Amino acid sequence: MPLYVLKRLALLVPMLLAVSVTVFLILRLGQGDPAMSYLRLSNIPPTDEALATARQELGLDRPLPVQYADWLGKAVRLDFGRSYVTKNPVLDEILYYLPNTLILAGFSLFLTLAVSLPLGAISAVEKDKLPDQLVRGLSFFGVSIPNFFLGFVLVWIFSVKLRWLPSMGMGGLDHMILPAVTMSLMSLCINARLIRANMLENIHARFALYARARGLSERAVTGRHVLVNSLIPVITAVGMHVGELFGGAVVAESIFSWPGVGRYAVSAIYNRDYPVMQCFILIMTAIFVTMNLAVDILYAWIDPRIRLQGESK
Amino acid sequence: MQSRFSLWLLALCLFTAAVSGIPAASAAGEGETLVYSWNSNVGPLNPHLYSPNQMFAQGMVYEPLVQYQADGSIAPWLAESWNISEDGKTYDFTLRQGVVFSDGTPFDAKAVKMNFDAILKNRKRHEWLELINQIESVTVLDPRTARITLREAYYPALQELALIRPPRFLSPSAFPDDGDTSKGMKAPIGTGPWKLVEIKKGEYDVFEANERYWGQKPFFKRLVVKVIPDSSARSIAFETGEIDLIYGSGGHGGGQLGLDEFKRFQASKDLVTDVSGPLATRSLAVNSNRFPTNDLAVRKAILHAVDKKAMAEHIFLGVEKQADTLFAPNMPYCDLGLPPYAFDLEKSAELLENAGWKLDPASGYRMKDGAELSLDLCFVGNDALQKAVAEVIQGDLRKAGIKVNLVGEEPDSFNVRQKNGEFGMIFDDTFGVPYDPHSFCSSMRVPSHADYQAQLGLPMKKELDAKIGQVLTATGEKTRASLYRDILTTLHDQAVYLPLTHMTSIMVHRPELKDVEFGAAKYDIPFEKMRR
Repeated sequence: MPLYVLKRLALLVPMLLAVSVTVFLILRLGQGDPAMSYLRLSNIPPTDEALATARQELGLDRPLPVQYADWLGKAVRLDFGRSYVTKNPVLDEILYYLPNTLILAGFSLFLTLAVSLPLGAISAVEKDKLPDQLVRGLSFFGVSIPNFFLGFVLVWIFSVKLRWLPSMGMGGLDHMILPAVTMSLMSLCINARLIRANMLENIHARFALYARARGLSERAVTGRHVLVNSLIPVITAVGMHVGELFGGAVVAESIFSWPGVGRYAVSAIYNRDYPVMQCFILIMTAIFVTMNLAVDILYAWIDPRIRLQGESK
Repeated sequence: MQSRFSLWLLALCLFTAAVSGIPAASAAGEGETLVYSWNSNVGPLNPHLYSPNQMFAQGMVYEPLVQYQADGSIAPWLAESWNISEDGKTYDFTLRQGVVFSDGTPFDAKAVKMNFDAILKNRKRHEWLELINQIESVTVLDPRTARITLREAYYPALQELALIRPPRFLSPSAFPDDGDTSKGMKAPIGTGPWKLVEIKKGEYDVFEANERYWGQKPFFKRLVVKVIPDSSARSIAFETGEIDLIYGSGGHGGGQLGLDEFKRFQASKDLVTDVSGPLATRSLAVNSNRFPTNDLAVRKAILHAVDKKAMAEHIFLGVEKQADTLFAPNMPYCDLGLPPYAFDLEKSAELLENAGWKLDPASGYRMKDGAELSLDLCFVGNDALQKAVAEVIQGDLRKAGIKVNLVGEEPDSFNVRQKNGEFGMIFDDTFGVPYDPHSFCSSMRVPSHADYQAQLGLPMKKELDAKIGQVLTATGEKTRASLYRDILTTLHDQAVYLPLTHMTSIMVHRPELKDVEFGAAKYDIPFEKMRR
């Protein structure tokens, strides 16, 4: 087991390297010119001379391999350069905004699990009855609605019309509700359906039958045996949800002016701030990969079948 | 049993939802605080540097020697008066008495010299601004008099001294020890009506009224600028009372507010909305050096065939007004009464007919000597506004028998076309207040500009460039006016520009907020005049 973890961790290095090359090239092969954006932000008429000066200042006048080697040499020492726009060290900026995103994403994850679990369970237990139909309807709606649209609809209802919740900024728990619902609704609905399907499968599984045969109450069978066993695939799903939540954060943070790393990345994209985009994508890759690794480990730990299978080999 | 279990779960569900049921925060801007919003934080507010310092905020904290007025004239500000030498090379400024920086340091000629020396140390960064290239030295004559010596006479010196950056003044006490402000400063301390007191990255900046301000002190004690990068989020923040004021350029993306949303607010009786006068001109350069627009008749026919009124109404929703001349008449030297090229398809057809362009009934386009009347209109492909305008022009000119090929490309290629003249027509907006007309005219002489390329086919191009050179160094007011009349009349008669609309700023606020006015330039926001 420790060897497996180490191996997986070691794989991170070539993976991040490959991602960094790809990102570096894609950004530069793409449209737009950061020097031009810089001048636009500075309100300087983009004359040839001004563009040349800006390119030199941003280090864009050097050949691509030189630029990459320079960037990589510094990046391995955790120096990701300075933002073209704010002129501050990129890592400092991202680490400044990252906790805000983690708070929001963490709350969204909590919301996803806390709501999807009962919804999925009700749906399974009350199969084909009204509660199940309601949950299924909600799931269909939640999976179909794009989050950028949902965000504005929520704001319109709860901030503009009802004035129950603030529409923007960071503050107490109340500031988190709308962005978190926006981010988590889709994962929540997928999860609810997943739990429902698993439970329906497990309700007739042999272990449930044996439990009933042992004279356990139906409540104990459902709650202790069927539900718990249905949660194992949910762990895998959570690994994916984390990715979805970070992706969703980019949208939700822009809509709700949440000072997180997602909104920061959107501004960086808009301003062609290469160093920020490179660092952001790398960190997101690292988070994503580590989460998947954590899920795999957790999985093995929870489900003896997987663990024992691995050991018997 | 089953139903009890469900009930229990349902309760858990409700509880999760209810945990979050905390009432919304109250409106932020009450009493002595005004709340505005901007796309980003205002930055460290170094008066001598560019991005990430935001111009509107630099303008709140730092002040110029002279001020640009809405009518294009120059008024005294930190300098009470000035004296220009006969040869136009020496400017002596008498400084206003009793002005102090917000930390109590007196504003005197030494401070003026210190600031200009710091700016000149960083000349390369400011080379886009002709004034900085022209300044030879700044000297202290006495504590209240500073002299700026230019290399050559340069009449727009005063206009450019009024700019928000770099020619504004940081307190000597806030200078770094080596005096080089391009590397940093100790604190953002100026003479202006506001002091920057708090920066909360990604969330807001807080300004307080400068108690030591020499002029009209702000009515509000505090000004909070919230960070809202998204224009739709901004309109919601306004509706929910999180911000008090929307003020700035219109349009999604970089603007304060989408035009559609502005229209929605405009329709509301409970709100005050306004549109500023012209700040710059949205226009197309028409290439006189390329077939078929090398024919004056074709250029004129194009100008007559575009229905700008409809464009202003339907694309710009009336927020931008139709433009008839390259520079709006409210710009200095630009109120010339030039006759507009009115929308007139018959006139357009007549011009083309007389020039030998005959309609080919098969294609619907005009032909001459076997060549089709067809040209490329170049724009930035992902710029939705330019695309919409280009499509309207394509449709309009089709009715005149002129074929327009839309060439939408990424900004890099677009810029290359501007530089090498590979376009029939290309988007080419003027720089705007306070750079119009002098900086824009000056750039017409530079080969890498679309203007130069578009004018290259004019028989009088050399003469035109010489006149532009003369007007920038002319010392007599009358000479300048007459030279500008010549230059602008020639450009108008030669139809090398298709002016479309005049860009404007917009504002939205509630009636409780009073005395909200437009500043003379885009980034002058007179917060100090506003009150509740």
